[in-house]
Parts: sequence; structure tokens; C-alpha cells
Amino acid sequence: MPLLSKNKAEAVNEFNQYVKPVSLWADAWKRLKKNKMAVVGMWIVGLYLAVTFGAAFLPFYSYTDQELLHANLPPSTRPAGRVAVERLESRRGELLVAMQASNREDLKRDLDRVNEDLDRVRFELDRDPVHKRVYLLGTDYLGRDMLARTVYGGQISLLIGIVGTITAGLIGIVLGAIGGYAGGWADNLLSRFVDIMYSLPYMLVVIIIMSMFKDSSNATVLGIPLNIIILFFAIALVSWLTMSRIVRGQIISLKNSEFVEAARSMGAGPGRIVFRHLLPNTVGIIIVYSTLQFPSFIMNESFLSFLGLGVSAPYASWGTLVSEGVQGMQLYPWRLVVPATAMTIFLFAMNFLGDGLRDALDPQSKNRS
Amino acid sequence: MSRFIVRRLLSIIPTLFIVVTLSFFLIRLAPGGPFSREKKLPPEVLQNIMRKYHMDEPLLNQYFRYIGDVLRFDLGPSFRNKDHSVNELIGKAFPVSLHLGSMALAVALFLGLSVGVISALNQNKWPDYSAMSVAVLGISIPLFVIGPLLMLLFALRLKWLPTSGWISSRAGWATVILPTMTLMFPYFAYIARLSRGSIIEVVRSDYIRTARAKGLKESVVIWKHVLKGALLPVVTYLGPAFSGIVVGSVVVEQIFVVPGIGRIFVQSALNRDYTVIMGDVIVYSIILMGANFLVDVLYSMLDPRIAYK
Amino acid sequence: MKRVLTAVLMVTLAASLFVSCGQGAAKGVEFIMNNGAEPQTLDPSKISGVPEHKIYMALFEGLVINDPKTSLAQPGVAESWTVSADGTMITFKLRKSTWSDGTPITAQTVVDSWHRTLHPDTGAEYAYMVNMVVKGAEEYNSGKAGKEAVAIKAVDDYTFQVELLGPLPYAVDMMSHYAFAILPMHAIAKFGDEWVKPGNIVSNGPFVLQEWKPQESLTVVANEKYWDAKTVKLDKVTFLPIDDNLTAYNKFKAGEIDWAHGVPLELIDEIKLRPDYQVAPQVGTYYYVFNVTRKPFDNVNVRKALAMALNMNDLVDKVTKGGQLATSSMVPAMAGYTPTKGNGYNPEEAKRLLAEAGFPGGVGFPKVTLLYNTSEAHKKIAEWAQENWKQILGIEVALLNQEWATYLDTRQTSHDFDFTRAGWVGDYLDPNTFLDMFLTGSGLNDGLYSNAQYDELVRRAGTMPAGAARMDVLRQAEDILITADQAVIPIYHYVEQDLIDLTKWDGWFANPLGSHHWKFIGPKK
Repeated sequence: MPLLSKNKAEAVNEFNQYVKPVSLWADAWKRLKKNKMAVVGMWIVGLYLAVTFGAAFLPFYSYTDQELLHANLPPSTRPAGRVAVERLESRRGELLVAMQASNREDLKRDLDRVNEDLDRVRFELDRDPVHKRVYLLGTDYLGRDMLARTVYGGQISLLIGIVGTITAGLIGIVLGAIGGYAGGWADNLLSRFVDIMYSLPYMLVVIIIMSMFKDSSNATVLGIPLNIIILFFAIALVSWLTMSRIVRGQIISLKNSEFVEAARSMGAGPGRIVFRHLLPNTVGIIIVYSTLQFPSFIMNESFLSFLGLGVSAPYASWGTLVSEGVQGMQLYPWRLVVPATAMTIFLFAMNFLGDGLRDALDPQSKNRS
Repeated sequence: MSRFIVRRLLSIIPTLFIVVTLSFFLIRLAPGGPFSREKKLPPEVLQNIMRKYHMDEPLLNQYFRYIGDVLRFDLGPSFRNKDHSVNELIGKAFPVSLHLGSMALAVALFLGLSVGVISALNQNKWPDYSAMSVAVLGISIPLFVIGPLLMLLFALRLKWLPTSGWISSRAGWATVILPTMTLMFPYFAYIARLSRGSIIEVVRSDYIRTARAKGLKESVVIWKHVLKGALLPVVTYLGPAFSGIVVGSVVVEQIFVVPGIGRIFVQSALNRDYTVIMGDVIVYSIILMGANFLVDVLYSMLDPRIAYK
Repeated sequence: MKRVLTAVLMVTLAASLFVSCGQGAAKGVEFIMNNGAEPQTLDPSKISGVPEHKIYMALFEGLVINDPKTSLAQPGVAESWTVSADGTMITFKLRKSTWSDGTPITAQTVVDSWHRTLHPDTGAEYAYMVNMVVKGAEEYNSGKAGKEAVAIKAVDDYTFQVELLGPLPYAVDMMSHYAFAILPMHAIAKFGDEWVKPGNIVSNGPFVLQEWKPQESLTVVANEKYWDAKTVKLDKVTFLPIDDNLTAYNKFKAGEIDWAHGVPLELIDEIKLRPDYQVAPQVGTYYYVFNVTRKPFDNVNVRKALAMALNMNDLVDKVTKGGQLATSSMVPAMAGYTPTKGNGYNPEEAKRLLAEAGFPGGVGFPKVTLLYNTSEAHKKIAEWAQENWKQILGIEVALLNQEWATYLDTRQTSHDFDFTRAGWVGDYLDPNTFLDMFLTGSGLNDGLYSNAQYDELVRRAGTMPAGAARMDVLRQAEDILITADQAVIPIYHYVEQDLIDLTKWDGWFANPLGSHHWKFIGPKK
């Protein structure tokens, strides 16, 4: 007796199929799990978070240990001493060729030094364990392990990306939704505030904020260095601006739709309309824009480190590693490729996960399998 | 509608005034000044320079003097580029950045929308995945990497294009290609991803289903109904994007030696060249507010549901 | 697909045609250089940088110019000069020369020019160079006296006399500096501050301004009215303001420029192998300044320990690699001057000194911060030093970078640092330019160093005539500053790094001040 057992509380979809009432989130999770790319993306994101933040417990080399004899070694699975010998030998060849063309003093000096180093590495090769190291992803200009530097560099970059995304989401959505839904003078006021925030010279604002907290550069708040908190603040300051404009635009467009009219006629208040009806319908664009913004936070961090804000050397971030690497990319391509690839793979995973989430959370596809 | 336009335009004036006032006092708080030198100037020399630029007067006097000058469209002298006034500097550099930025944005818009449409219509199939991969690459590889790479490839390896310079240099129009290609990349990626996202949403909406049910041709549905409805987030993004791109990208201008305003902007901030910073702020905020105003007007043209009261 | 390919080919063909056409159109010998930055001004009174100096040397000529090989004074507008027996009075004999518009240059022009540079309203930054040597200049420049106080005079139309503050042996060499420029006073009277604009500007150097496109290029062409026009070999010089060294290097490789000043440091291994790479010692020092008023750097043993823990040879050979000269002295070697020995690399002694200061093995050493201005090169050196201090002395040093203006403010105004990176390039060839900044109370003494004996020695040298005795006093002063007190850690002496093909160009020589006068440069025959 199916007809009798049907009661009012049970939902039907537009094809008049019976459906179990499920929460938006459980439903979304079910659909997300079906999207293969999104699942792969989720695993990669999870792996990145685990490896970078668990780096201290994993068998990486130190990211600060220098060995000048191992400077600028290419990625290799062989012991560093052997790779270094090859590099020095080929360098000697290059220098001998160059000295035929010009008889400069500094070339002679270099040749002497290369010979000296070569003798030293050959002698130490089997005696000093340091030459047994294996640099899978090469080394940098001071002979530090690129793998370790990239892994540790991910810590600050991921943190910045996450903090930026969250603040952009929270502030941007709330202010954008209020402005878009309220309209009139409230909207005008909020929009002009956003315009002003855009227009102020950001670089100088950051410099001023830093100079105000100069004396307390070694202070911490809740165990986090103050410098990092200022960094988060500087990122948050501008991260939400475009997001708020986009949300506002979507809300303006949707607020006169039939379903909003319907909700309103049923006595829903503005809060309920905005948060239960309007925002769920803009969630797709919010997710797409968030994933788009993620890399810009990472690069913004490297710009702020130029101003002296954030983590200081020898600690690195993906942004600073990439900008270091680009200068020497003709000679040491791995110093650019390694951090850039690490970052790109993560961003790909983020995007696929984001797309999956977008599809899964789309209210239009609710209850459709 | 016309009342909305008038009110909206009028609100630009007080906003601009707030921006100018805030910026004027803010930038003076930054440590260092326009005459900081590694070989620190002796006090008597510094005093002469400060007097020359009226910087020895009380700050409030300087502010009123500045506002007075700005009202006469005079942005003052540059402390750094001593042979040029701010009007001259910006007047020469802004058209260059406007030119480069508009070209890059036009290319980005064309490519981005095409890729967005193709991706959305082939959602989760290979054209979608490959197009979106290019877009993700476009946002994850920073300009300071793309620029030198393109230069290495096209100028040094293939020798097709000059390494750098601008139209009035010897290499002529060929110089615009590399900076445009570089600058366009992230904007292309944003536009492609945003348009794909909103097209997918619009295609599922009721009014498109109705249009299809009415038996309209698929091409008409796509171009007339879907695209129009889906453009909203792209248009919103274009407001800040346009003002950002036409006031110049310091990275691209530096790499390709383009005489644009982006370099001036960053250099003036680093040099504490107060008057030039102020000039840049004024130009930028006027363009930004103008662009955002146009976006608001475009909203109601794109989406008939939007009506301003 | 085929059509697309053809179109692409056509476009590139057209583009390359455009490029080659442009090059064919140039007449005479043209030289293009990267100047590194946009010139801030062409007005010699207001110049304050290296790029401007390069353009100044093309457009203007002072009483004397730098010899292209030794950087010492060589006749310019003055054909000869005599120094009085006590060394305080110089009399220049001027040659009959004119501005590019034909107006003659007389001794009165020189007097008026120096007066203008010193006038308080001109706001000339480098007026302090004149103040350092010319009697009465500082009084006029600071507004305490009228221009008659300045001890310069035109004896007759072609004889110019200047009285110095003392027997300053470097004064004549210094007068090749743009602070002592001769200015077209008639053009300045006519156009005011606008006189430097193309069309208004009149000059007396080997070249005259042809065109100035801000941020893009500045072009000068040979000056027919130049007194030594027959020596000038170039017809046209173009200065480009490229601040990105990588772009400049690529441009040089593509053959688009003839001289690139400065190189991308990361590519030094490749650049070194090029036969057209030129490297020459410069009169300049890269060093770390201790704030000697702060603990623990008020203790001389701590300062010495930090200095002796660093092997500068390792640094220049394996980290900076540009041919820089590792050093333990503040003053570079100069004619007649042997620098102090300083405290060289000695890790054992460094550990001992640190223990003597109360921090055996680095135990109990407070956390100190090394400040530097943001740059890849400074970062590398700081990271290297930090690791060495940690390994050898067992102390933790934090690194802090700041952007340029903030860094200068911290270093010079608030002195709110433990120790900081600094660099100094001599304005003239004399140890004094490196030593007088450490005088007690000097505005340039960022580390607040103070030693009465040192002050006395440097001041005494200022009153002594040129010669070995004076150099010996300066040397004693440097012994105190570096070897005894270790007020700073000298790291290396700068080198000038240039890319120019000397098999193609003649008359370009490496010299200590890096001044390459345009009148000597020309194509090799």
C-alpha cells in the first residue's frame, strides 16, 4: 500500500519520485564521492597537508643545512659526492675552454679553486658521510636540499592560502550579501567602502602596519609569532574585496527570482532569505572564485616577504622559492621547476576538488542521482 | 534608472575625497622619506631640500596646499624624477599601460569566454579537462615566470620577436606581442573558470529549460540566453580587473621594459615619492570607481530582473 | 591548419622585417647601453646617482675629468692647474671652449655655477661634496653667509681660483665629480628649472641631448662645438633604463645592446665564461655594522669572534662568485695606502674570544638579529653567515629583511638594530672617504662607534699634506677601527661587472671609480 504510507513530510523530486529527506551536506558528500577527479583531488590535498605539516616527523634532510661543495646539484638518485665530482669536472672543462678565449685573472682563480675542490671531494668521497647524501630534487645555491626546502616552504604557503580563502569567504560573503540584498544607501555605503579599500596604496599600508609593530618583532600571541599574525592580517585586508563584489552581483541578480518571492510570501525574514535561499544558489561561483584566488594569496605572501613581512630566511615559502629559482632558470632549471611543480600539482588538486564541491553543493542538482 | 545613475556618479566625488585625504596622511606615516639615501644627507643639505618642496611646513598646510593644487589639476612636482611634474609622468605613462592593458584584457576576454563556453558544454569530458588545465596553469604560474620563459623562447631561441621595448622603439609593433601574451594569462584563466562555472549553473536553470522546450535552436539558446545570463560574475570581476590591468602590471613592465605607469607606481611607493604616489592613487581610484559604475549599469542590461530604484 | 601556419609565418616575417629595417636606418656609429634605471634628472646640481652620472659624462664636462684608466684628474675645461706650496690654493687655467649654442665658457661661468649648486634654494644633494673641500662653501650652503663667503674667484676670464679648507690632496681628483659641474648659466637664467628639457638644454660635453622618452630611452648625439670633438668617435649614444638585470642580459645576448652595466647574479657561472664579461675591482666595501651600544656587541671580543668565524674566501668563491675580493679591512688597497691587516678567518680564536666574553660554546648568547635590505644577493650572504655562526660559535642569529626606505630609516635614524648589512662606495680615491664616517657623532656613523684616539688620528690626517706620513696616520686609524675595535665586519670589496665586447669597442677601460668617459669610446679599427 504505497499510496497510504505516503505522508506529507516525505519529499518528492520533480519527477515525482519518493526520496528520503537528507541533509544538504550528506547529500553533497554522497555526490562528491562519485566524482572521481574530485576524490583524487581530495586525496592529493590531504597528502599535501599531511606531508608539509608533518614534515618534522618525516625523514627529510634539514632545510637549513648548507654544504657549499654541493651547491646547485641537479636532481639525482646517486650520492651527492659523485654528482658533485661530475659537476666540478664539467666546470673545469668549461673554464679551460673559456680561458682559451680570454685570459682573465678571475678565470684562473676559479680553475684553481675547482681543482682544489675536486681533490677535496674525491678524497672525502668515501670518508665523509655527507657525500653519501642523496638529493632527489637537487640542491640550491648554498647546497641545501630542495626537497626539504619545498616541503617546509609549503607550510607557510598553504597556511596563507587557507587563511586568505577563509577571510575572503567570511567577510566577502557577509558584506556582499548584505549590500546586495539591502540595496539603497546600505549598498552604496558598503560599495564605496570597498572602493576606498581598493584605492589605498596597499604596499604602503602594509609597510606602515609593520612599522607600528616594529618593537615587538619577537613577541608572540597564543604561541604564533606576531609577525605571522600581521602577515595574516595583511592578506585578509584585501582578500575579500573582489569576493564581496561578486557575491553582491549574484545576490542582486537573484533577489527578484520567483523562489525568493515564494519564500518571502511565506513570511521568511531577510536573514532566512539570504542565508537559506540566496547564498546556497551562489555557492558555485563562490567556490570557483575561491579556488582561483588561492594561488594569488601564495604569490602575495612572496611580495609581502619582499617588504620584510612574514617568515624570514632561511625559512622559505613556495613563492620565495619560485622567485629565487626564476633568476637562474637557464642554468639550474630544477630550482624553479621543483617548487613550481609542487605548487601547481596542489592547485590542480584544489581546482578539481573545488569543481566537485561545486557540483555536489549545487541546489539545482539536489536529490538527483 | 537615470536617478540611480546620477546618484551613483555623485557618490564618486566624496569617495575620491576620502581616498585622497586618507592616502595623503597615511603615506607620511611610512618610515623613511623621499630623500633617504645610503649616504645620508647632512642636515643643512636636507633642510634646503625640504624647504624647496615645502616639506618643512606643518602637515596640515601641506595638505591644504596639495588639495588646492589638485583642484587646479596640478599634481605637483616629483621628488624623484626631478625634471618632470607628476602630470607629465602620468600623462606619458598612463596611455602606454592603458594600451597594453586593454589589448591583454581583450585577448583574455575573447579566449577566456570561448574556452569557458566549450568547457561548460562538454562538462567533465576531455575538452573540459584540457581547457581547465590550461586555465589552472595560467593562474598558478606567476607572471614573473611566464614573462622570462616567453622571452627566452620567442626572442632568444626562435629569434622571432624583440626581447623588450615598446612601440616607439626601433623594433616597433612587434614589441607588444610578448607583454600582451604574458599579461593576458591570469586574466584569461579567471575569465575562463568564472564563465564555465556560471554557464553550467545557468544551463540548468528553469528559463533555459523553458527556452529549449520552446524548441529554440541550440545556438540561439547558448548565445542569446545562456551567455547573457552567465556573464554576470565575469562582468563583476571585470570591474576591478580592468582598473588593475590598465594601471599597469609592474612585473610585465619591468621584464619587457614597457614605459608604463605600473613601474612608476611601485617605484614611487618604494622611494616614498609622495606626490607621485598620490597621483597614482587618484588615477587608480577614478578608474576603479568608473569601472565599477559601468559594471552596475551593465547588470541591469544583462539581467532584466535587476532594477535599480 | 595550413592557413593558420602561413598567417603566423607572415606576421613573424613582417615583424622581423620591421626589426631589420629599423636597424638599417641608423647613421654613423651608434652605441646602446643599459643604464640600469631611469635618470632622475639631467641637472648636474641635483644629480645623485650612478645612471645620472653616466649621462652627465656624455653631456657635460667639468674643470677636470677622470682618467679612463686611473680615475685620477685629467684636463677637462681646465687645460692645466697649479697647487700653491701649502696645498690650500688651486689655480685652474681654462681653455677657450663654448657651450653647444656657441656661448663662451669663462672663469665667471664656473664661479656662477658653483654658486648655484651651493645656493640653499637649489636643494643640491651633493652640495656636501663641495662643502667638504671648498672654504666657505658650507656657510653659504647652510644659509649662514652670503655667496661672497665661498672662497672661489675668477682672476681673469680664463683663470679660476679656489681656496680649500686645508691641504686636501684629493681635492683636484674630487673636482671631476658632478657636484663641481660647470652649468650653462645663460640657459638657466632664460628657462629656470625648465632648462633641462629637450630643446632648452645647452651642454658642453662631447654629446648633446637629442631625445628623452621617460622610462624608455634617452639619446645623445655628438656635439660639434665640443673643444675636443675630433677625439669623439661615437655619433650617437642611447641609454636604456632597464632595471631587470635578466632582461638586460638577454638583450645583450640578442645583440640589442652594446654594453650592459651589471649582470644577473644567478647566472654568473655562465656569464663568467663569456669573453665579453669584464670584471674590475671597485673602490667600495660590503660590510656588517655592529650597533656597539647594544649588548652583546658592546663587547669587543664578541665582535671579533663573529668576524673571525667567517671565511670570506669561501663566500666569494662559492656563494657570490662574481670575482669580489674577500677582505678583512674597511679600506681597499689604493695607491700609497696599504690597508690594515684586520682579524682574518680563525675559527679557533673566534671560539676562544667568545668564551672569554662569557659565552663558551655560544651558551647564554642572547638572540641577535641581522638586518639587511631585501635582495637575493644580501639574503644569500646573510644565510651563509648565519649558518657559519651557528656551526662554529654555536650562536643563533635571526635574519630580518626590510625594504629599502624602511631599512635606511632603521639603520640611520632610529639605530634600532643589533647589526646590519651596509655598503660604501668611495666618492674619491682616498682612504679618508672610508674613515671619516666613523668619527664620533658623524651622521654616517650608523653603529654609533666612538673612539677618541681614532677621531684624533683621522682629524690630524685632515690637516696633513699629501704623502707617506699622512697615509701612515690614516693607516693607524684603520688599525684601531678594524683590527683593535672591530667596529664593523668587512666582508668583501665590490667589483664592477659589465658586459661589453672589447674586441669590438675601444677606449673602454676598467678603472677604480667605474667612470667610463664617452669621448674615448669608439669602434675598434
